[in-house]
Amino acid sequence: MVILIPLTKIAIAIGVLLFVVTYLVYFERKISAWIQDRVGPNRVGPYGLLQSPADVLKLFFKEDIVPLAATKFVHSLAPVISLTIAMSTYAVIPFGPDINLFGQKVKLIVADVDVGILFILAFASIGVYGITLSGWASNNKYSLLGGLRSSAQMISYELSMGISIVGVLIVSESLRIYDIINHQQGWMWNAFIQPIGFITFVVAAFAETNRLPFDLPEAEPELVGGYHTEYSSLKFAMFFLAEYANMIIASLLIVALYLGGWHLPFVETASLSEGWLPLISVGIYLAKVCFLLFVFIWVRWSIPRFRYDQLMNLGWKVMLPLSLVNLAWVSLLVYFFKI
Amino acid sequence: MPKVTIDGIQYEFNPGETIIEVASRNGVEIPHYCWHPRLSVSGNCRMCLVEVEKMPKLVIACATQAMDGMVVHTKSEKAVKGREHVMEFLLINHPLDCPICDEAGECALQDYAYRYGTGYSRFIEEKNHKPKRVKLGPYVMFDAERCISCSRCIRFSKEIAKADQLTFVQRGDRVTIETFPGKEFDNPYSLNVVDICPVGALTNIDFRFKARVWEMSATKSICPGCARGCNIDIWVRNNEILRLTPRFNEKVNDYWMCDHGRINCFKFVNADDRIDGPFVKKESQLVLVNWDEAVSRAVSELKRFKGNEFAVIASPFATLEDNYALLKFSKQILKTNNIFFIPHIKPGDQDDILIREDKTPNSTGLRLLGIDVSKNDLSLETLDEKINSKSIKCLIVVEDDPIAVKPELKNAIQNLDLLIVFATNKNKTTQYADILFPAATYAEKNGVFVNFQGFVQRIRPAVATIDVDRSLDGLAQSRWDKFGTEFDKWARGRKVNARSDWKIISQIANALGGKFDYDTSEDVFIEITQNVKELANLDYETIGELGYQIKSSKLIEEKILV
Amino acid sequence: MAVKKRKKDLNFFERIYIVEILKGMMLTLKHLFKPKFTRQYPEEKYVQPPSYRGRPVLVMDNGKERCVACGLCSRVCPALAIQVQAAETEDEKERYPELFEINMLRCIFCGFCEEVCPEEAIVMSKDYELVFTKYEDAIFGKDKLLVPVEQLKDRLEFIRAHR
Repeated sequence: MVILIPLTKIAIAIGVLLFVVTYLVYFERKISAWIQDRVGPNRVGPYGLLQSPADVLKLFFKEDIVPLAATKFVHSLAPVISLTIAMSTYAVIPFGPDINLFGQKVKLIVADVDVGILFILAFASIGVYGITLSGWASNNKYSLLGGLRSSAQMISYELSMGISIVGVLIVSESLRIYDIINHQQGWMWNAFIQPIGFITFVVAAFAETNRLPFDLPEAEPELVGGYHTEYSSLKFAMFFLAEYANMIIASLLIVALYLGGWHLPFVETASLSEGWLPLISVGIYLAKVCFLLFVFIWVRWSIPRFRYDQLMNLGWKVMLPLSLVNLAWVSLLVYFFKI
Repeated sequence: MPKVTIDGIQYEFNPGETIIEVASRNGVEIPHYCWHPRLSVSGNCRMCLVEVEKMPKLVIACATQAMDGMVVHTKSEKAVKGREHVMEFLLINHPLDCPICDEAGECALQDYAYRYGTGYSRFIEEKNHKPKRVKLGPYVMFDAERCISCSRCIRFSKEIAKADQLTFVQRGDRVTIETFPGKEFDNPYSLNVVDICPVGALTNIDFRFKARVWEMSATKSICPGCARGCNIDIWVRNNEILRLTPRFNEKVNDYWMCDHGRINCFKFVNADDRIDGPFVKKESQLVLVNWDEAVSRAVSELKRFKGNEFAVIASPFATLEDNYALLKFSKQILKTNNIFFIPHIKPGDQDDILIREDKTPNSTGLRLLGIDVSKNDLSLETLDEKINSKSIKCLIVVEDDPIAVKPELKNAIQNLDLLIVFATNKNKTTQYADILFPAATYAEKNGVFVNFQGFVQRIRPAVATIDVDRSLDGLAQSRWDKFGTEFDKWARGRKVNARSDWKIISQIANALGGKFDYDTSEDVFIEITQNVKELANLDYETIGELGYQIKSSKLIEEKILV
Repeated sequence: MAVKKRKKDLNFFERIYIVEILKGMMLTLKHLFKPKFTRQYPEEKYVQPPSYRGRPVLVMDNGKERCVACGLCSRVCPALAIQVQAAETEDEKERYPELFEINMLRCIFCGFCEEVCPEEAIVMSKDYELVFTKYEDAIFGKDKLLVPVEQLKDRLEFIRAHR
């Protein structure tokens, strides 16, 4: 029983994740089409709803091509690293407050770690290995460039991301994500308390997930796909999956750290029965995440890619000072107002 | 010498020459329709109007004799205007049916209308209607509407062909050309009127609507029809010969060629009875084999005989190179002098214009090499008894058909132990061959013919055989040849699997231990020039396009040259 | 080196970039709800104007082709797609195409053949749905090229008007 519950949780988490990623791709295509005054996929199934599963199937059955000069083992290892890291990160992110199920109190988290934030930061750093290794193992100049760009970008933006999170940690005085969320009850969302930190974190999150305007590792016009140029079939699917999984993680984190998690002021003040409140909270949480996912897609189809020097300028000359300013601001707030 | 000034430049001339003669000799273009350098002056087209200073009106250059100190302007405003008006008159009744007309593309009326016309017509009335599609003779079709009445054809048949068969009838705008009632335009040179007709009024029935002129490539070659060796252009599209036209060579054929040459001397190249690949007799059946097998079979069979058991028939249809290789082969490899050729004389079929009795292009060349119609009392007449008496056991026939010339030979030939035939097309002899090699025709190889006057003239490949690539091997190319791929029907014309005789002979000779070290036919020719003193120091380049004449009183004494 | 100048100096809000990003995103948001331009192709067909250049066809007048096989289309064709073989006919026009083939894999739909044709015998139709599965299928002979003149009225009028 002790093992069964976490295993069930893991199974549900992975199942839901795969399903959500599939449809995230579908919505990405739909929204991009709408933004460009097109209709998007509409041929496979009603409203094209079966397009994504069909694409997944297609990827499964495609030929797996490994370049002759590639380092075979690392070439196969890289996508596995990317995907495993992305999935493992879900373990420490809660999906809602505790709920009562069959008379048992169930935490909606696989592993309630005390140092959740640290865990996430650590894994995000490992994630870059997947991309860098894939670029190197492909033995292709474009892939290598993509991989190198990726690591440089990660290092530059992880810094400001980390410092922004320190601002949150100062306020909540805990590394546990539950505590951080619960500290933001009412209107005390970190986004309002430390807006600069919020902005730097969101920008850094975009950079970490390699989404436009920060998708320089892929940069189709210059690098013909970057690190995954030489990948096909299932291995390509794994990179694809990892990218979208990272996007979901980033959304979850932004909501958890800055947008009050499952807290919404007037819902908490409304008198609701004990049984319904957790479910509604989960709903609120997921709604916020969905909105953020939409923002991710929305931004991708609105803003063009940075030039490489602009990317570095922004990372080191703007983001880093800004996050330091935020740190100072939060420290002052805490020192003087004791929030 | 008297001098005339044309367009500001002084030219010397011989008294009696007309302005247009002086101009054309010096490369000054004066447009003309009715004037032709070999025909009498008629002066009826008025296209050659030029302005001569101190003359009140424009004069026609073809009928005005040049005089000392005369100043002629061909491009003055007055002359240009005059020609424009002439052009307009000529076009009034000319139908605009260039899309249908075979002449389009090589039509003087098109060219001059483009260069000297106004570019538009003021004529809104109904054009004249005259007979169309009139068959003047067996080869010539006449369209009276297109005719501009220049009378070149009439003067040609009278003055050059010496057969006064055509004339103008009617007057004014009804004028047309006809043969005399009940007569046909059937002289042996009739098709030359198609060449000299400046418009499409006279067309070649044999070539009618076959192709547009710009679709074909032209290759300079020699007609193999008789000992005259008329210079010709071979017109090829999609690796198929569509027509032959005469090529100007003043000393050999001038501007002309005979109808026999033009109609009959290319169809065998395209024919279905071409021998396509080497054949070997197996169980009394000729079976198609590859080259190596045929050559090795020939080598092993030839080893069974020696010396004077061989007889070799050389070919006056083949080139000098082919026959030289054959001669060398029989002397050095077979070690026999039994080599002769079959004459093809049609007694009485000769005239003072072009046609010769000797119906082969290269018999003079054979005699130059020392091959004659009989050798050591061996000739076509004695061949059958020598075979029957078993003194000759092996016969090699190159590009000839002894059975067609002498049908009685049929039984004797079947008594041979070995018959090797080199032939371009199936003939009466090929079916008895033990080994049959496909020979390239005159249109598929490089080489040299020597005509009865001693002109050494070049033939060039116009049609590609299977080993030849049009662009890599330097054959003339039409636009279609240049850009066609193996997927385009119009670039996939039939290629015959045949080779020049010298190539096949060299291969066999080398396998029998000879040293026949030739890459090209010119290599063979250079060796000939070292052995035949009349040809000394010649090569393909010095022969050039118009040929090289051997001058030797000794040869004339020996009746080898005329 | 010449000093590069912007067309216009940026003001503060433009320089901090975030405002401009939001502006851009509002634009894309607006388009999210605008009517779409997509044509549902196989169900909804494109209605071509007469100036449309589809596959070239031969005009058939009274059951016979107008073409006199002059070969100008073949000569002018920059892609060498057209092959014509003429032959004699008893009709008034004397000459007709015994063989007329357009290699639709070579054709680039430039319309030069139509422009050069002295008989208005080859015109560009509105047919653009050309699918082949075999090389041989892509070579259109007279059977596929001949189209009755009634169906080509539009284009013939267009050619005459723009001569």
